Amino acid sequence: MRKPKVAILGFGLVGRVAALMLQDQYQLSIFEAAQTPNNNGAGALAAAMLAPMAESVICEADLAQMGVEAMTLWPKLLATLSMPVMYQQVGTLIVAHQQDMGDLRSFEQRLKPLAGHQAQHVSSHDIAKLEPELAGRFHQGIYLPSEGQLDNLAFYKASFEQLKNTECQFYFGKSVMLERNLQGVAQVNGEAFDWVIDCRGIGAKHQLDGLRGVRGEVARIYAPEVTLNRPVRLMHPRYPIYIAPKPNNEFVIGATEIESQDDGPITVRSTLELLSAAYTVHSGFAEARVMAISAGLRPAFSDNRPHIETDGNVISINGLYRHGYLLAPAVVQQALSKELL
Amino acid sequence: MREDKPFTIYGQTFESRLLIGSALYPSPQVMTDAIHASQSQIVTVSLRRQNSVSAGQDFWQLIKDTGLTVLPNTAGCHSVKEAVTLANMCREVFATDWIKLELIGDEYNLQPDPIALLDATEILLQDGFKVLPYCTDDLVLCQRLAALGCEVLMPWGAPIGTGKGLLNPYNLAMIRQRLPDMTLIVDAGLGVPSHACQALEMGYDAVLLNSAIAGAGCPVKMARAFNHAVQAGRAAYIAQAMPEKDVAAPSTPTMGMPFWHQN
Repeated sequence: MRKPKVAILGFGLVGRVAALMLQDQYQLSIFEAAQTPNNNGAGALAAAMLAPMAESVICEADLAQMGVEAMTLWPKLLATLSMPVMYQQVGTLIVAHQQDMGDLRSFEQRLKPLAGHQAQHVSSHDIAKLEPELAGRFHQGIYLPSEGQLDNLAFYKASFEQLKNTECQFYFGKSVMLERNLQGVAQVNGEAFDWVIDCRGIGAKHQLDGLRGVRGEVARIYAPEVTLNRPVRLMHPRYPIYIAPKPNNEFVIGATEIESQDDGPITVRSTLELLSAAYTVHSGFAEARVMAISAGLRPAFSDNRPHIETDGNVISINGLYRHGYLLAPAVVQQALSKELL
Repeated sequence: MREDKPFTIYGQTFESRLLIGSALYPSPQVMTDAIHASQSQIVTVSLRRQNSVSAGQDFWQLIKDTGLTVLPNTAGCHSVKEAVTLANMCREVFATDWIKLELIGDEYNLQPDPIALLDATEILLQDGFKVLPYCTDDLVLCQRLAALGCEVLMPWGAPIGTGKGLLNPYNLAMIRQRLPDMTLIVDAGLGVPSHACQALEMGYDAVLLNSAIAGAGCPVKMARAFNHAVQAGRAAYIAQAMPEKDVAAPSTPTMGMPFWHQN
C-alpha cells in the first residue's frame, strides 16, 4: 500500500520537526526556498534555549506550559536521529549588574508559576558553585533549574542527514506555488498531495494575514577561555540578553528585538550592545573570535502566539516568534495529531 | 474653583490628558488593547533606521489602525545632527510636523542633554517643526525652550523607565508657576497611577508614559487605571484643593456634644 503523500513547505525548524514526526508513515516531499539545507530560517540563528519559565515573563501561561510539554518531546525527537545532538537540562542562570537590580526584581515579579519549575534565589556563593568562572562577578541572581537548551546547528545537520536516508524528496532553491485542483485538493507546483504542511515562517507572509517579521540579531563566537555550564541571561533594560554555551567553546549571544522586516546586516549599535554585555559577564570574551554575526526575522502574529490553521488538506503552522525551540514539538504535534499522527 | 482650559498641543485640542507610548508591550495585540483601554488620543512612536519606511510597515500599520494622533520621537539620539536627521525622517514617514525631541546626554539613565536640546530645538523650530522637547525639570532650561518658541514642554518626573514618580515636585511646581500659559506634560519616570494623578493635581496639562503600562502585569488594566487617575487629577486641579494646615480642624462641630465625648 502506498504511503500518503505529504508536502512540507519550508525546511526550517518547524518543517524539520514536522518531517521527523511524519517520516515513517508518509511519503514526504520537502520544498525549501534556500539553496542549501542547513542555514535557513530563524531556527538556524537561534540560541535554541528551552526556557519556559524565563519566557513566561513575556508570554502567556498556557504557552509556557506548552514549553514544558515540548521539553518532554525533544529527547524523543532527538532519539530518532542517527547523529548526536547536544541536549542539556541543567537550568538557566539569570544575573544582573548592580544598576539593573530593578530589572531583575521586575523579571522575578513577572515569572509565572509553572508545574515542575521553581525559581531559586542565588547568592554570589551559589553562583560560584553553578558557574565557577562567574565567581565574584555577581552578588545575586535567579536560578531556574529545570530549563534546558540544545545545539541548533547540530539539530539542523542531523535532521537533514536523517531525512536524506529516508524516501523523502528534497527540492531546494524552489519557490512554491500552492494551488487547489478542480477537486479542491492542494497542489504544490502542479503536483497533488494528500496533505500540505505549510511551515514557511516569514516566507508565507503574503499568504497569511497579519504575519510580520520581528528582527533579531545574534552573534556566534568561539571563546576557548570561557567555560559556562548553562545559558546565562543578563538583565538589560530593553531586551533580555543571553549567552548560551554550545559545544566546542562556542557561544550564542543574543538577541535584539526590533519591529522591522529588515533582515539586512546587524548594526554597530546592536553589535556593541550584545558583545559588551557578554564582556561584562566574563572578561574572557575579550579574546573570543567572532564566528558569525547575523540578523534574521522571527515570524510573528500580532498576539505573538503560534497559529495553526487548517484549510482543507493544508495545515499551516506559523508565528512561533521568539519561541521556536521552546514550542515547536508541542505546536507541531498539536497541529498534526488530529489528522496525521 | 479654577477655570477648565482645554488641553492643546500647538493649537490642536485633545480630550484625553494621557499620552501613551508604543514600546515594550508583550505583543502588538496587547499594545493595541492597552492603547484603546487608556482612551489616549496621542501615541508616541520611535523610529529607527532599521524600521523606517517599508521595513517597519507592518508595525506602523498597527499604530495607524489605532486611529490615534502619532507623535514620533527621536529616542536614542545622542547628537544634534542625529536628532535633526531622525526628525526629518519621522516627518516623511508619519506625515506630521510634530516631534518629541529626545536627546540623550547620559547613556545610563537616559538623562536628556539640555545644551544639545536647545540647539536642536532651535534648528527644528526654524525648520517648521512643532517641537515637544523632553527635558529635565530645570526652570531655566524650560524658560530658554519657551523663549525659542516651544508651545509645549515635557519635563521628566524621573529618569525613563524607573517608575519612581515625581522625584522633585518642587521643581515641577516652580515650572508650572513660572510658565502659567505653557502646555506642560510630565514625561517619563511614572510608575503608578497616583504619580500621574499627582502631576495633574499640580496643574500639569497631561502626562506621557510607556513603561508603567507596558511593563505592568496586565497592561490593559493598568492603562484603564491611568486613564482614571489622569481624570481624577485634572478634576481635583479644577476643583482646587483645600489649603493644607498644620493643626487639626474638626470636621464635625463640637458644640452641643456632651463634654465626656469631647476628648
